[in-house]
Amino acid sequence: MTSSSDKKYGIEISQKEAEELRNTIRAASIKVMEEYIERMKKTWPNRPETMQYFYDVAKFFGTREREIQKAKEEGRKVIGYTCMFAPIELILAADAIPVRVSSGFYDPVKLGNRIVPVEVCPVVRSTIGVEMIGLSPYLELSDALITPLTCDGMTKLSEILSDRKRVWTLHPPRLKDSDQSMFFWREELRALKAKIEKLTGTRITAKKLKAAIEVMHKATRAFRRLQEFRKGAPVIMGRDAMLVNQTSMWDDIERWTGKTEELCNELEKRIQEKAWACPPETPRVMIAGSPTIWPDNWKLPNIIEEASPQGVIVADELCSGDRFLFDPVGVDEWTMDDMFKAVAERYLLPSTCPCFTSEDGNEDRVNWLTARIKERQVDGVIYHVFRGCMLYAMEYMRIKKVLEKINVPVYYLDTDYTREDVGQIKTRVEAFLEMLKSRAEF
Amino acid sequence: MIVAGLDMGVQNVKVVLLKNGEILSHGMAPSGFEPEKAVEQAFQEALKRAGIAYNDIAHVAATGVGVELAPHVDSKISVVSADARAAVYMYPSARTVIDVGAEESRVIKCDENGAVLDFALNERCAAGAGAFLEAMARAIEVKLEDMGRLSLKARGTTSISATCVIFGESDVVSLIHKQEPKHEIARAIYDALAERIVSMVYRVGLKPDVVLVGGVAKDVGFAAALKRKLETEILIPQNPEYAGALGAALYAMENLRGDKNGRRQL
Amino acid sequence: MLLEVISEVLKLIIFAGLALAGILAILIWKKDQKTKVSYLRFFVQAVAMTAFFFIFSYTTQLLLILVVIFALSIFLGRFFCGWLCPFALYLDLVAAVRKALKIRYWNLPDKLNKFLNKLRYALLLFFIALPFILEKIEPWQWSLAKFLMGPFKPISVLLGPVEPLVIPWESSLKLYGINLSYPYASIIAFYAGENLAIITISIFIGLTLASSFVVRRFWCRFCPTGVSFAVLNRFKIFQWIPLLRLNKVEEKCTKCGICKRVCPAQVTDVYEEKGGDITTSMCMLCLRCVEMCPYEDCLKLNMAGKTLFRSRNWLEPSKIE
Repeated sequence: MTSSSDKKYGIEISQKEAEELRNTIRAASIKVMEEYIERMKKTWPNRPETMQYFYDVAKFFGTREREIQKAKEEGRKVIGYTCMFAPIELILAADAIPVRVSSGFYDPVKLGNRIVPVEVCPVVRSTIGVEMIGLSPYLELSDALITPLTCDGMTKLSEILSDRKRVWTLHPPRLKDSDQSMFFWREELRALKAKIEKLTGTRITAKKLKAAIEVMHKATRAFRRLQEFRKGAPVIMGRDAMLVNQTSMWDDIERWTGKTEELCNELEKRIQEKAWACPPETPRVMIAGSPTIWPDNWKLPNIIEEASPQGVIVADELCSGDRFLFDPVGVDEWTMDDMFKAVAERYLLPSTCPCFTSEDGNEDRVNWLTARIKERQVDGVIYHVFRGCMLYAMEYMRIKKVLEKINVPVYYLDTDYTREDVGQIKTRVEAFLEMLKSRAEF
Repeated sequence: MIVAGLDMGVQNVKVVLLKNGEILSHGMAPSGFEPEKAVEQAFQEALKRAGIAYNDIAHVAATGVGVELAPHVDSKISVVSADARAAVYMYPSARTVIDVGAEESRVIKCDENGAVLDFALNERCAAGAGAFLEAMARAIEVKLEDMGRLSLKARGTTSISATCVIFGESDVVSLIHKQEPKHEIARAIYDALAERIVSMVYRVGLKPDVVLVGGVAKDVGFAAALKRKLETEILIPQNPEYAGALGAALYAMENLRGDKNGRRQL
Repeated sequence: MLLEVISEVLKLIIFAGLALAGILAILIWKKDQKTKVSYLRFFVQAVAMTAFFFIFSYTTQLLLILVVIFALSIFLGRFFCGWLCPFALYLDLVAAVRKALKIRYWNLPDKLNKFLNKLRYALLLFFIALPFILEKIEPWQWSLAKFLMGPFKPISVLLGPVEPLVIPWESSLKLYGINLSYPYASIIAFYAGENLAIITISIFIGLTLASSFVVRRFWCRFCPTGVSFAVLNRFKIFQWIPLLRLNKVEEKCTKCGICKRVCPAQVTDVYEEKGGDITTSMCMLCLRCVEMCPYEDCLKLNMAGKTLFRSRNWLEPSKIE
């Protein structure tokens, strides 16, 4: 670790203040999480029993934190990541524990504002704040952080965090179509692999990598299976599905897979019994854009599913949601060379992050959105953008044009890590849902 | 049958009564701190004008920013949907509705049935609504009711920043120091507000006919500025601030008519 | 005479039946897609190889065989290359050994691959013109060569890959009285002459088999027979006929690149083309890309518009329809 004179950003805060804030915010967040879970339960009273498992994992500062702590004491390493580009298979192959550390807490933003201006992406400001007071258990427990340099905010966050944590940057090229990009990306991952091996003291062999890929295959399968249930009449409420999706980022992935399969089995039964979570005519909404990370960012999903008229979130185009485990690693021949290439390609090529640019205007994202809208019969899209998120904001006009062509209404919702705009968002969302409902009636 | 539409506005509560689809009467009261009292007052006014009792009303629908605080309401509807219905009721050719209220303004694209096709709201900032005008009128020390007519005298020789009330105010102060005549500044103020509204219109798409409602619609200065910026005719109804309540009343009627078994649940 | 005609017709029927068998196999297998396409292909290739052997045992009417193969290819595009070619079977078998030994393959650099794709047209031209050119040198021998008479004269280089391992006529390679051969061996023997025949053939065998340990389907990238199908289908009149077409649904494609990586012929069009009909002259319809595409219904093999085989979420065990 660097000495305090070497600190670049000076994200220092007195021990006393940090502890006070940590305890206050922790207590408040626990309350918020419990409240939101109660609200989800209220909207879906006849939910399957298995959902309780996911509610429990989602409650931060609880069992999962203790589990990881114990694993660390037994010698395993924890490798956190801030973004979907980090190759989880490599982490698993080295017997380390992968965990996503993007912050979903609103209150630490105040602290982040001391270091960077308020125009900066709130996810970044919150993560800085969280690091300052040591709020996030997963961030604190990480022995290393993989920080993909996707957008400006992520790039500088990586530097800021390096004051206190071991940071490994990954540089995904902004142009993914060319051979040079693929070559560069593979080299980046090769370097990362070496760092992981050094930290954990485990060599990533072909056998281990194969096992890791197969674990993730099972997880992807469960993930996709769950999303299948959102295609027809609503047998699962959107917030609950989104929570299940997000818990895959923190939980033990094999256990998560098992539980998700169980949940899917229960949902199968419900389809036969026609036990819908909400009336089938409920307007079907898709959230696209900046990620809504649990817990505080449930602000928007709560409004959508508790509004009158009620909406149901059947899809999302969020890196914290439907995109996370959507693509599998396609291995041709199980040699180290091919597996590594396959992993590298999977994390770069099918990604629809707006950080990419291309001559055809990031058509991948357009195609992904359109395919999801058609298969889940989405009635309307809420385009959710944080203040300061240039990439999603700038792609809005393109997406709007495409959606107009297929006659799907889209509403641009600009928000921040604050609770103050709940009233305003409610007005807008309710007007939007009313519009969707009346469209359906004609 | 008689139905009532209630608009819980930020500044004023408005009521419109409809009898068999025709406007019967209307009433208004300042919102203040006690919404229940304001609603009662507004209703009293409307009922007195119509010469009927509260129990004669078959269905009450409410809308507006403060709709959560409305007491004894049978159904609710968003202001966006209410405005669209009201506009098409008053002008069947209406396709774009601009509602500029005290603190919120909206632009709504609708079809011939009054169904909403698209909409945009001013983002979180009062510079796109009536509050901007109030602040600016204070800055140039002119009564808000007089500022409109004053601005009509101007030729448009100057302009102010349209982004923010605070910036706008400092712009105005510097213009006063430059000894810019008041009517020019007044016109610049309306132009700034109109500019913001117009950018919302283009987000949604301009389609004639354009109807302007909301409290600020009564202001001749604003209407003139908006007409200038949009380069098209604007239809302004008699009592534009009642559009929301009218739309809610129309919705109340739809509810009654659409359901033979009584009240339709939202 | 009549017997001959009957036997010829029989051969034709066997041949046509072979192609149908391939398609039928796909249809039947489509019902339960648990079996990998490659296993199915091995099966069909083996059947094809056996059939070719029998055909050659009964007839030496090479022109007829060639015509039938060509006629088939007008309708099926390069289906022959992926499913019926015996030479491809040998290459695939060696590749299977390579896979079992976990030896990685090398991809030819894209530019070289594209160059070979263009070169193959020149090679085809060369081989067909060769007897005519050489006629100037030794007239009487080469005039014979121009006609498709007798066993394996030079112009029948196009039947090279089909040449069976055990032939019913005299060969340079003899083992315990059995006449052995190898694709293109007879032609090489013809050109090399008596003395150098065995050496040159051995070198050829060594190179082609060794190439399968390094590059996938190396010979197929410039095989004269393969390219002659491509040439055939390039003529405008024939272009709309091939019934077997590879199709992509644009929306479902996430550009994940798996199809491009697993293609043994390194065809990049399947990845680069946006959507619709993406059949190319280099594609051998081995269907590896369709099999490995992880998005449901994205890539498909269509026959006359009807989908025979489509990509599916291979993470799910397949359901029997």
